[in-house]
Amino acid sequence: MSSDLAFALRGVSTAVGNNFALREVSFELPTGYVMGLIGANGAGKTTTIRCLLGMRPIDTGEIELLGHPVPGPVALRQDVGVVLDHPFLVGDWRLAEVERTLRPFYERWDGGRYRQLLDEFGLDLRAKVKDLSRGMAMKLMIAVALSHQARLLVFDEPTSGLDPVTRDELVGIVGDFLIDEGHSVLFSTHITSDLDRIGDYLTLIHDGRIVRTGTKDEVLDAYRVVRGGPDDLSDLVGVQLIGVRRTPTGAQALVPAESADFLGGYVLVEAPTLEEIAVHIGARDPRRSPDPDASVDPGPEPDRRAGRREPDSSMSTEGNA
Amino acid sequence: MRVVLSNSAGVPLYQQIKEQVGTAILSGDLAEGSALPSVRALARDLRISIITTTRAYAELAAEGFIATVPGKGAYVLPLDSALVREQLLRQVEDGLQTALDAARRAGLQRDDLIQILDGLIQAEHQDAIR
Amino acid sequence: MTAVARMAMLDLRTVAPYRYQGLLVFALGAVLFSNRPTVYVVALVLFFTSQFAAYPFSVADKAGLETLYAVLPLSRRSVLYGHYVWAVVLFLATASVGTTLALLLARAQDVPFDGRTLATVLTVSWAAFAVNVAIQFPLVVRFGYTRVSVLGTALPLAVIAGTIYKLHLTIPSIQSWLPLFWVAGVTAIVASTAVAMTADRRRVRHG
Repeated sequence: MSSDLAFALRGVSTAVGNNFALREVSFELPTGYVMGLIGANGAGKTTTIRCLLGMRPIDTGEIELLGHPVPGPVALRQDVGVVLDHPFLVGDWRLAEVERTLRPFYERWDGGRYRQLLDEFGLDLRAKVKDLSRGMAMKLMIAVALSHQARLLVFDEPTSGLDPVTRDELVGIVGDFLIDEGHSVLFSTHITSDLDRIGDYLTLIHDGRIVRTGTKDEVLDAYRVVRGGPDDLSDLVGVQLIGVRRTPTGAQALVPAESADFLGGYVLVEAPTLEEIAVHIGARDPRRSPDPDASVDPGPEPDRRAGRREPDSSMSTEGNA
Repeated sequence: MRVVLSNSAGVPLYQQIKEQVGTAILSGDLAEGSALPSVRALARDLRISIITTTRAYAELAAEGFIATVPGKGAYVLPLDSALVREQLLRQVEDGLQTALDAARRAGLQRDDLIQILDGLIQAEHQDAIR
Repeated sequence: MTAVARMAMLDLRTVAPYRYQGLLVFALGAVLFSNRPTVYVVALVLFFTSQFAAYPFSVADKAGLETLYAVLPLSRRSVLYGHYVWAVVLFLATASVGTTLALLLARAQDVPFDGRTLATVLTVSWAAFAVNVAIQFPLVVRFGYTRVSVLGTALPLAVIAGTIYKLHLTIPSIQSWLPLFWVAGVTAIVASTAVAMTADRRRVRHG
């Protein structure tokens, strides 16, 4: 049922010129949970979020947000709070001015909550936006997002450049937000430790494609990390090695869980951490790696196109703001 | 309610919750009828995922320790000793079966297995004395 | 308040932190022209508003406000129309101030207040301002303020001024055509909004 999903993307593709920024992206989040969208820089996280929020047109596929198709009614944004890695406000506005400016646009703006949150975060109403540190600016955007009774919070790399204390505070904020089972959170990051514990669902993205999506347990359970000596991983037939990393003393790779049974007893096979999954899947394109065995897990639909080009990882190609 | 999670225990988080809550109920620390925090509040407090706490509660409910009321939360059920005993016996069987499987792969014999069992019991006994 | 009005307010608040700089320019100009015929004051009004009308675009470019517009419950149509409403309201406000100033200066210079000339100059200013905005805004919407730059915004104005000069338009000669200038201005703005909507769609598609 649509209303049970916070959002859904089905077969979404979008291109920048001749480069596909997203290819057949499909994943969804049931209402009431937090999903981590994990991928390296340039993997397509920001593009995905912009498409989801209707900020960017798509070429194929469909998107559903809080039960409505996207592009949807403008009023849908009343229910969505967005936090990016930079405040998209005029630097010379004071925090009190921010409220006066945004309040008229929201039907359910709660000024008391805004001031209470600023107080909790230690932000001064008289401070200017441009004078805030990175962490404080993120908290300001969170205060704004939480002050109009949004049902869905979308974070795009909120923690890059933040200290562990602030990152931990963000985890607490997300937990509080989810006390209401009608609330959902999408959290994109390349820092896996942010979502290690509190992530309910995970979506791994690489090169504009979804590598894996599902509950955190499902995703963790889909892979094993294999460690062996420098030559131990060389002659494995029929076993797909993901992101092989070789050093003079050993080699390490990720494998699909089903393949683990084919591996001999001379290699160490273990459950991977989320970090290890992200690192191996995000390993650079094999054509650039010196390692002939390296490959990238293409996920359920292997890319059979020859001459596949890596999309431009520069954020500035994603259109004007 | 006291739940202390260990990162290095090697035991899945949902299971740690299950065991600790279950132990607390069995020992009487959590009285019959007392309310448990909601799965979401517990997830928030422990800083873990809601799916994890939901699973812990679901298994506790399946084993007859607690009951969950949609929209109201969860509370401790009266200790039905027969049901609880049955759960514990099943845990023993499962544990022993797992040990048997591993023993077979390692090539251990029955006596080796019993020796290990005795050793474990002895170690626990000594821990208890200390 | 409709969404368009809210957007115009947002534009006002966007440039509000910089109002003192703007007022300073205005005051300086008034001082400079205090000994000149009152017409110059109104010319100042025109120049000032032409630059400031597009200022929200400039701030938006630097602060990433396009993202804010996309996050707020605000349609693209409301955003664009709001920009135009801001520009027109700005002109009306400064024209009122300019007229008052001209009145006061005429008093100070002990010169009779030439209402007719003033009305003519204001009307021509309106037309010039409207045409300037009509050209400027779609360009800025499509390419962003930074790419169009101050040169791009001042150029149409210079062209208009040059045209007036070249055609030897004198105040008496156009006094009978005043209604035409008003209508031309309004038409230019309205037509421009349609062009801006198209330019905006282009921008989203091609960046």
